[in-house]
Amino acid sequence: MKRRDFFKNIAFGSLVLNLSPALLAEEKNFPDLALVQGESPELITRKAIASLGGIERFVSKGDVILVKPNIGWDRTPKQAACTNPNVVKTLVELSLEAGAKEVKVIDNPCNQAKRTYIRSGIAEAAKKAGAKVLFPNPHRLKKIPLKGEWLKEWEVYTDFIEVDKIINVPIAKTHSLSRLTMGMKNWLGALGGNRSQLHQKLDQVMIDLAAFFKPCLSVLDAYRILIRNGPQGGRLSDVKLYKTVVAGIDYVAVDALGTTFFGINPSEMPFLRLAHQKGHGEINLEKLKIEKRTV
Amino acid sequence: MKKEQSKKYRFIQILRILSQTIFFLLFIYLFLGTHFTGEDYIGRVEIFFHFDPLLALATFIASRTVLASFALAAITIVITFVLGRVVCGWVCPLGSVHQFISFIFKKTKLLKPKNAQDNHLVWKYYLLIFILVGTLFSLDLIGIFDPLSLLYRSFTVAIFPALSYGFEAFVGFLYQINISSLGDTLAQFFENLALNSTFRQGFFIGTIFIGILLLNLTRERFWCRYLCPLGAFLGLLSRWNVVKLKIDSQKCIKCDLCNIHCQTQASPFPEEKWKSSECVYCYTCSSICPTSAIGFPLESTPEKIEKVNLSRRKLIFTSLLAAFAVPFFRISPASKRSSPKLIRPPGALPEEKFLQKCVKCGECMKACPTNALQPALAEAGPEGIWTPILVPKIGYCEYYCSLCTQVCPTGAIKELTIEEKTQVKIGLAWVDKDRCIPYNLGTPCIVCEEHCPTSPKAIKLVRIEVMLPDGTIKTPVAPVINTDLCIGCGICENKCPVMDKPAIYVTSIGESRSEQNQLFLPLLKEDSKTSTEPF
Repeated sequence: MKRRDFFKNIAFGSLVLNLSPALLAEEKNFPDLALVQGESPELITRKAIASLGGIERFVSKGDVILVKPNIGWDRTPKQAACTNPNVVKTLVELSLEAGAKEVKVIDNPCNQAKRTYIRSGIAEAAKKAGAKVLFPNPHRLKKIPLKGEWLKEWEVYTDFIEVDKIINVPIAKTHSLSRLTMGMKNWLGALGGNRSQLHQKLDQVMIDLAAFFKPCLSVLDAYRILIRNGPQGGRLSDVKLYKTVVAGIDYVAVDALGTTFFGINPSEMPFLRLAHQKGHGEINLEKLKIEKRTV
Repeated sequence: MKKEQSKKYRFIQILRILSQTIFFLLFIYLFLGTHFTGEDYIGRVEIFFHFDPLLALATFIASRTVLASFALAAITIVITFVLGRVVCGWVCPLGSVHQFISFIFKKTKLLKPKNAQDNHLVWKYYLLIFILVGTLFSLDLIGIFDPLSLLYRSFTVAIFPALSYGFEAFVGFLYQINISSLGDTLAQFFENLALNSTFRQGFFIGTIFIGILLLNLTRERFWCRYLCPLGAFLGLLSRWNVVKLKIDSQKCIKCDLCNIHCQTQASPFPEEKWKSSECVYCYTCSSICPTSAIGFPLESTPEKIEKVNLSRRKLIFTSLLAAFAVPFFRISPASKRSSPKLIRPPGALPEEKFLQKCVKCGECMKACPTNALQPALAEAGPEGIWTPILVPKIGYCEYYCSLCTQVCPTGAIKELTIEEKTQVKIGLAWVDKDRCIPYNLGTPCIVCEEHCPTSPKAIKLVRIEVMLPDGTIKTPVAPVINTDLCIGCGICENKCPVMDKPAIYVTSIGESRSEQNQLFLPLLKEDSKTSTEPF
């Protein structure tokens, strides 16, 4: 169990950090969230990661990394239903630059996998950057104890478990049930089975899934955001060019900052409130150290 | 006398086998390429069909329209005029399948070839007449019997789904014995092929196909000999061809090997009995002849040849039979009121025209990215058997896809651009409030709304009040349909979490192609359009 080892290491590492105040102080210099705006999706992604202390803070030499974009729909990048391919590409490049042994890109889409992978532009961009782009493979589905508060077990693609670290790279869109879909909703793409039934308790499911997959880094793509008719959009008028990415370790905080792009206060979002209550992360933006930049 | 098999004809025979292999592989290549490969527009993957003169003729008579793509069929006609039925022997992929199966049966001694001199050769001509007379009345049955349609349909609906089942099982086995890296590679490769593997009539159509292959146990190339209407058609065209069999009577030892091994019962010996209309120029006789007595010299002036032996009485009988059969195909209720399940692919012509053109080949079913298109059984009446219908429980119409319209070889489905296709309604969704989760359990769901591909969405969520059995009242949002916006794609039905009988379903009403099958008086529709609020 590589991931378990990883968590052990983190636990051990934080213990060490606690015992050595000097190191801890250095760690604290990094912002909780980096928000970068600019014309180029590649540049703002790179800048956001740099603001957090560089990719080396998250990816170690020899790691097998899984980058989880939203490739949910048979839509083109301009329609903003899937993660911007250049943001995905940049994260793949960064991981490989940090010495990752392998970077996998995978998602279980709602439309035919081949169509979504190709038409979203993600397959080509990620492959060019050196990632292994994988279609979800039903043979790799396994019922996994998720140990969530609500969701006890579900079928998960084992690709998500057999890697060292996961980078979550969702896109920010409206959604009629959770109001917005960002990082925490993105985990439904790691599941198989009759996923549509999960909507009956979606907020709780999202919280359990996010806690289970626990990405080492969350990068919210808001280069284009879908402001209506989500999560698929369709018309270009459903899309707002926002030219922003947010990166952070606290995935609840990343989603919380994302809600403000839609003019919503994080505390109005039931799933964020609940996640905060349960101690999964911060939603009070005033308590967060946010570094804002424009490139 | 020198006893030696002809090297020249052995060489020609090998060339023929090579040609068959190449064309069969080409057929498979185009077959496998008929899916979303990354481009919105796919190119002429259906080109094989356009070389088929019988499909061209039948479609022309039945629909009274000319399709330009079928100009290629002229090539086949010219070749057959000049060289005889070489297309059957050298090109036809179904012919090659039959010959290969016959070869296996002979090698395994399951089939012992003999000099059959039965009169069943004429069956195929009567079948051809029956079909063509039917087309005069716009009854288009050619698709059931045409060899290319038969092969493509069987491959799409039965053979490749069966193969993919086996393949999947093999990959599953690899995981069980922990060779997962190979399993991963194969699974990814397989996903890339995007083979549709779920078909309602796979068993039925597969059984028919296997049955036709098993007929080769009784006679070599049974289908080509006795049944193939295209073979019959080409046979009739081939009587003036210039390549004629010639037996050197000096060399002939009357061993009868040529008659025994003739693939299509063309009776090479004696020469006068040789049937030009049956010969597929496989060159088996000339290469098997122990004394090299048989040759095929070019002769521009045809001698007296054995004609296709059809009795006038039976011809008239067959024609009348076909004419009388027509009403039996038409007494189904299908022509009175549309079946709710008769959801045609986008771009399908109005039903009457559609049935005149559809040749049941299954190209559209192969191309469909979601496996939604399925062969009809009774939904379209007896003449509509195996025509494509969309079954939302199995798949849905992908919003930005028009592949099925591009691959239809006869224009039964009109070719559409992606832009045009998104404007076509193929049906209308209905919410079954007796089964829908929010309407009954008061629990949120929204899955149908989430998947609805139109913008703005055709499914709206409205707040409703539900009283649960214990008297408590819940106020969830629940789906309602905007009939103007719904295109009937069926993704809502396909993704509905009510698994057995979805709580939202599509029926054919409102389909763009039909004037009658509409919910609203056209006048009313105009009114509602002007009063619709902008979103």
